Parts: sequence; C-alpha cells; structure tokens
Amino acid sequence: MNVVVGIADMKVSRDPEAVLVTHSLGSCIGLAVYDPVARVGGLLHYMLPDSDLDHAKAKENPLMFADTGIPLLFKACYKLGAEKNRMVSKVAGGSQIMDPSGKFNIGKRNYAALRKMFWRNNVMVKAEDVGGTSNRTMWLHIATGELTLKVSGMGTKVL
Amino acid sequence: MMGVKDITAAIKALPPFPSVATQALSVLEDAGASVEDVIAIVEYDPSITANVLKLCNSAYYGLSRKVHSLREGLVLLGNAQLKDILLAGAVVKFFEKKHKGYDLAKGDLWKHAVATGVIARLISQRVNGHEPPSLFTAALLHDIGKVVLDGFVDEYFEPIMALVASGSHSFLEAETEVFGTNHAEIGGKIAATWDFPEEIVTAIAFHHRPEQASQDDQVTRLVYLANVIALSVGIGVGADGLSCRGKQEVMDQLGLASRDLEAIVIDFYNEYHRIQDVLGMV
Repeated sequence: MNVVVGIADMKVSRDPEAVLVTHSLGSCIGLAVYDPVARVGGLLHYMLPDSDLDHAKAKENPLMFADTGIPLLFKACYKLGAEKNRMVSKVAGGSQIMDPSGKFNIGKRNYAALRKMFWRNNVMVKAEDVGGTSNRTMWLHIATGELTLKVSGMGTKVL
Repeated sequence: MMGVKDITAAIKALPPFPSVATQALSVLEDAGASVEDVIAIVEYDPSITANVLKLCNSAYYGLSRKVHSLREGLVLLGNAQLKDILLAGAVVKFFEKKHKGYDLAKGDLWKHAVATGVIARLISQRVNGHEPPSLFTAALLHDIGKVVLDGFVDEYFEPIMALVASGSHSFLEAETEVFGTNHAEIGGKIAATWDFPEEIVTAIAFHHRPEQASQDDQVTRLVYLANVIALSVGIGVGADGLSCRGKQEVMDQLGLASRDLEAIVIDFYNEYHRIQDVLGMV
C-alpha cells in the first residue's frame, strides 16, 4: 500500500505492508530513515534549508525546512520504537539547474543543511543520490527497508 | 536528422485553439460586453463549460459558495479572473495527456503549466506589485511546444539524453542539436498559428533564453524564472529534469537575490494548497 508523502510533508510507519513514496523531488530533499530491528521507517520531503528565512512559516509547517523538519522525522520514528543507533539514513534529491553563478543553488543548500545537521548529531548517511539536474522519486519499503529510486531519464534502481 | 518538415506537419496537425475561447476572450476585451455575451459563446462547448465550472469551484478562486451554472460562476468572478478561467478551461485538453517522450504522466504537463502560471504571478506581485495582462497566458502555455515535440523526443531519446548526461548541453540545447529546433521555438510557432499577441509568442519562444527577447520584455523573463522555480519545487517535471540554464542576469534585471527565490518558494507553497483541486483536474 503506497502512502504518499507530499511536498513539505513526512510519513512514518511500522506497517510492513506500507510503502512510503515521495514524488518528484526536484531541488527538494527526500530523507528516508529506517530501523531494521524495529522495522520502523520514515520519509521526509523538505523544500528549503533554513527556517531563519521565515519563522512564522516554520511554526506553521516545520516540515518545509531541513533544520526544523529533520528532528521531527527522527522523533516520530522514536515514538514508533526506532532507536537512533540502529537507524539507517538515505538521501535523494537536491538537484539544481545549470548555474555556475550559484544564484539558483537551492538544491545544494538543501543538501548542505542536512550534512551539517547530521555531522553535529553524529548521524551517518548510508547511501545517497543527490545533485545533478535529474528529477527523482523515492519509495521506502517498510517491510524490508529497501529504498527504490527513480531518476528521470535514467530508470529505476535500488539505493 | 529529423526533418523540419515533419515537425512543421506535426504543428499543423495540432488541434486549433478552441474558437469558442478565442471569441469569448475577444468579447471580454470589449468594455461594453456583458456576462450574457460571454455565456452565449461558451455554453456551446460542453468540455470548456465543465472545466470553467470546476475552476470556479476550486479553492484558488475562493468563491464563498458552490457554483452550479456557468452564469453563477461568471457573475461572481471579475473580468480579469474570467479571462484566466476561460483560457485555462480551454487549454486543459492540450496538456492532459501522458507525454511519453518527456516521461510525463497524465496530468503532469497541466500541473506544471498551472504552477508556472501561479508562480509567475507571485514573482510579478513581488517585483512590480501588479501583473502584466499577458503574463498568466504566456506562463500557462510556455511548454505547449512539448505537446508537439513529444513524439520526436521519444524517438530520439537516447542521443538527446547522451548530450544531457555529458553535461555539455541543457535539454533544450540537446533538442536543438538533434532536431534543429526545440520545444520553446515550436511553442512560439504554435502560439503564432493561434494568432496570440506578439508578447505571448515571444515569451513562449524564449522562455529558456530570455536574453534573446528585447531588454524591456519583462514577461519573457518572468515566465523564464517561474518555469525554473516550478521545476525546482518538482511540479510536473519530466525526463528533462532540471536540465536548463540558470541566468543570473534575469535575477539581476528583476532585482531579485537568491534569498528572494526561497521566499517565492514559500509564497508558492502557501498557494499550493489552494490550487490542489486545479492541479488535480486532469
């Protein structure tokens, strides 16, 4: 059963039938976390790196931003029985248009925000497919923790 | 190499812009026209009527009650909104299909068209405090050329993707390399065939290369940037992904910084919930 994660949205689950999916990431980041022992997983689709841009908006929907969304994803998984030291994190998205000037680098900044938070909190990224100009869709299978990725123009693979 | 003749034939084979919409839009230009005049024209096209009703009832237009007839809807909307709704209702049929060459599922190109229209408005409000009259139409139709080029892209997908994957070409540049033309240029030709005003034709034709439009042509630049932002937030993105060129000078000309781009993303997110039913129309 597909459970769709929208834009600036997250879903967590321990239902082995569930497949969490987020479509069309563009420059947004999809972060999938999974605890293989508790078989609990979660998927976050955030749009922007930093809630400093608009605190009111971040309060209304913290899942828009990396810095406010990522902690919520982990906390929601803990509630379902996941433990930090067992959790596996995989990342996709963060594309951007071809721009040497760096004026359009939302994708890059989105990814950098995640790396910074992970580094501070001592979390590793197990696998990633980020950057470039591709558009990506990801599926997290709660039964197995398998992450499937569709990359525009290049087909589907397991990450 | 793909013959230009084949593409020209495919442009000719595209259904004409619905004459009902053209007539209704020209009636709306006339200050003395009444809602009755518009209804008299539109009601003969059931598919446009159905789309217009759906749009009237969408959260985007925020009417306080459910509208059951064309008359009710048109009376409640102002002339400017009426124009947009008629136009959107008339172009749905061009965008609703699946487009295999560009790897766009059914409805994706429609979603991208509407999102680009809404974002173009948001940018214009931020930059100008108002919007040029042709902006929404140009933004809505900017990718109309993809409808025609789709079959050709499907056939020549490998050489196009090879150029894109090498990093040397944007998707549009790869189209130009392989076909001698591209979806933007073709879109401009289609708009010209449909007798759209020059500024709409130009904005469609140069939505990836706004520097080729005249210096004072803001509509083309707004459509360019709106398209880039719609792609970045992932609305109706296909095989071409985000493979298009960032034009720093457009940002400068519009007086926008990187941070403004992120603020526009937030503006769009605020609208996004209100346009869900419009995006889901097909």
